[in-house]
This record gives sequence, structure tokens and C-alpha cells, in this order.
Amino acid sequence: MASGARSLRSVPDPGGGPEPRSEDELLVAVARGDQQAFAELYDRVSGQVYGVIRRVLRDPAQSEEVAQEVLVEVWRTATRFDPDRGKATTWILVMAHRRAIDRVRSEQASRDRDERVGVRDHIRPFDEVSEEVETRFEHQQVRAALDALTELQREAVELAYYGGHTYREVAELLDAPLGTVKTRLRDGLIRLRDAMGVHA
Amino acid sequence: MTSPDIHTLTGAYAVDALEEDERQLFELHIRECDACAQEIAEFHATAATMGAAAHEPPPASMKDAVLAEIDTVRQERPVAKVTDIATHRDAWYQRLLAPAAAVLAIAVLGMTAIIANMNERIDTMEQQTGRVADVVAAADATIIEMPEVDGASARIVYSAARGEGVFLADGLPAAPGDKVYELWFIGEEGPSPAGLFDADDRGRVTHVVTGDLAQVQAIGVTIEPAGGSPQPTSDPIMVAEV
Repeated sequence: MASGARSLRSVPDPGGGPEPRSEDELLVAVARGDQQAFAELYDRVSGQVYGVIRRVLRDPAQSEEVAQEVLVEVWRTATRFDPDRGKATTWILVMAHRRAIDRVRSEQASRDRDERVGVRDHIRPFDEVSEEVETRFEHQQVRAALDALTELQREAVELAYYGGHTYREVAELLDAPLGTVKTRLRDGLIRLRDAMGVHA
Repeated sequence: MTSPDIHTLTGAYAVDALEEDERQLFELHIRECDACAQEIAEFHATAATMGAAAHEPPPASMKDAVLAEIDTVRQERPVAKVTDIATHRDAWYQRLLAPAAAVLAIAVLGMTAIIANMNERIDTMEQQTGRVADVVAAADATIIEMPEVDGASARIVYSAARGEGVFLADGLPAAPGDKVYELWFIGEEGPSPAGLFDADDRGRVTHVVTGDLAQVQAIGVTIEPAGGSPQPTSDPIMVAEV
């Protein structure tokens, strides 16, 4: 790994305890009704939750609304989290992304998002962030991993994950066959997984 | 048309890029396929890293709002650990069985004369649901996509090993007048009938088909007179090569 690499939980610990609890431990405590643990978990993950939702939805007010719903859902359903099956941050961010997508799909019933946004003007959705965000290590690491993909893999993954498009929409946007988009999404995620050293 | 192996849907699933009905079908498959479940767990962790990199501070007021709200929200009771997939499986069954449940409620209200008939319908639906689940969960399940026509989409999920498949459509209008939709398997010897169906009031079709699809080169849908036809009498409204 690169020198000076900060872990994803390098956020300062407001509690000041000698051994800050991991997100996994916090979420397990939340499942037992520990509101203090929830407040601490909020400080760790709310920026990630809001960030991923805002990337998909774009609208700040809507993003805040959905982020708030997700975080309350984390509290409500914390009893379902099983630390043996994955990390707390993964569990939370999968939920956040799904909720953002649900909002996109329900909106699409009434209007066509692509008409509003323009068909190809968000072909690199990952780059639509502030400079402050771009300097973060996590962002640079993901940027590097995305740039190592083939063009089609990268576009498919970004349009689907950050752009919130179905693979059918991705196929249309990229003018590529459906089957190709499906396999590129999978190949792209395999390469990202390996490049980022992610474990389930 | 494409006939991809169902296992390749892991990527699209992990980034929430499947249509709702495909997502539900694929979640049935994941329950039975450890390799897909493992890959999705890894892809979810990968996607979460991508999500974490999108970090952006929320409005400061959100914290107080969330903390105030959880103070009024009761937490779910702890349950024996089940997979999310299993939870979603319930949603899928609810979707197919919801009409059956409504029918049952009416029956219990005392319409004894037609209870037997209703029960039969419920049994049929439950059997069909079970077969759909079996086909989708089969190790060799394959999806054949039909090109979308006027907002109607359709696909066949089939298992060669089981010798059966499920034709699924969404957004399909009810067949006009006293006509029906007829599905055709088209092989070297021309089209052979693969069953009649109509869309429900929500434009959905779940039609189980049996037979050897190995010899089938294309699949088509036509509109036929009530009772169906031995050979197509009109141009197909949908067709896909296998």
C-alpha cells in the first residue's frame, strides 16, 4: 500500500477514548439501543452516506432528506447487521446507495432524467466533486483504480454506480450491447476489487 | 439477442443497476448460488469504497434532526440472522401471491360457494411461484432478453437442465378485444406454440413454459384469436433470437 495511507476510519475520535471503537463495534452497540454509540457512528459515516446519495441524486435538499432516512434506518434495523458477514460501513453504504437509486427510479416514472441532465454530459460522474474532496486520499485511490480500467469498464461502472443508471440505460448511453455492458460492469468491479484490495 | 449466463449479473446487481423485476429474480438465484453470493459481498465492499470516496459533509443541522428522530423510532427486534436475500425473497413472493391473499380474504368472508374454486387458483399460483423460483435458481439459468417494444419489456429465464423456463413481461397492455397473446418457439421446422397468456391489470406476465429449448433458435410473441392458433396468423410484436 502507498506510504502515508490513511485508513477509512481516520476521522478524529470525538470521544477521546484510548481505543476508539470500530464502526462494526459501534453498530453492534447501536443494535442494543446505545444512542451514544449511534451519535459516534453518525460522525464517522454521515459524510459518506450523504456523499454517495448526493452523487446519485445531485439535488442537495433531496439528498439530505434521503440521507436522513437512511441514517434513521440504520438505527431502526441495526439488529440485522451481522459483523460476520461484512463491514458496517459496507452495510450502511449499500443501504444508502439502494435508497438513492429507489428515489431515482420512482422519479423516473414521472419524468426522464436524461432529458434534463443531457445524455452524455455526465460520462465521468466521479469527477463531479469539489477540489476539497479530490485531495482526499480515498478519492485519489479510487480515481487511480478507476483509471486503470478500460474505457468501457470505467464508463459502465461510473454511470451505473455514481450516475444511478440501470445497465439498460448505460447500454443506451454508451451505444453498447446489453450483454457487453453486463460483462464490463462485472469485469470492472473485479478489477476494482483487486486494485483496492477489498475483502468482503 | 443476448443470452448471458445469469451469473454475470453480479456486477449490475451490486451497483443497483438491475431493473426491479430482474433484481428480485436475481436475488432468488443468489440464495442458491454461493459463488454469486460471495462475489456480490466482495462487489458490495468494492462499491462501498467507491461510495466512501464520494464523502461530502452533510448540512450541520442534519445531525440534530437525525438524533431527534431516532429518539422516537423503535428499533426492530433482533431476529435469528437471516440473509438480506431471504428478506427480499419474501418481497418477491408477496408480489406474486398478493392477489392470492386478497382472494383468500374474500373467501373467508363467507363466499363458501366459490371457496373451492378460489383455493384451486391459489394452489395454481403457489405452484407457479415455486416453479418460477426453481427455474431462476437453477445453476444453468439463462436469460434471453426481448427487445423493448413501446415500453413493454420481456424476457425468458430458462433452465435447460430442468427443461422449463419462465416468460416474464412488464408494461404489456392487455390483449385487444377477445384476442390473446401467443408465445412461439421458432426452430428449423418453423414456429411451434409455447402457450397462451395475457397481461394482468398491471401489465405483467408470468408464464411458465416447458420443453426442450435447445433446438429453439428464436422466440416470438403474436396476437392471436381467442383459443390461440396452431401457427402464427399475424406478425410478431416481439421477437428475439436465442
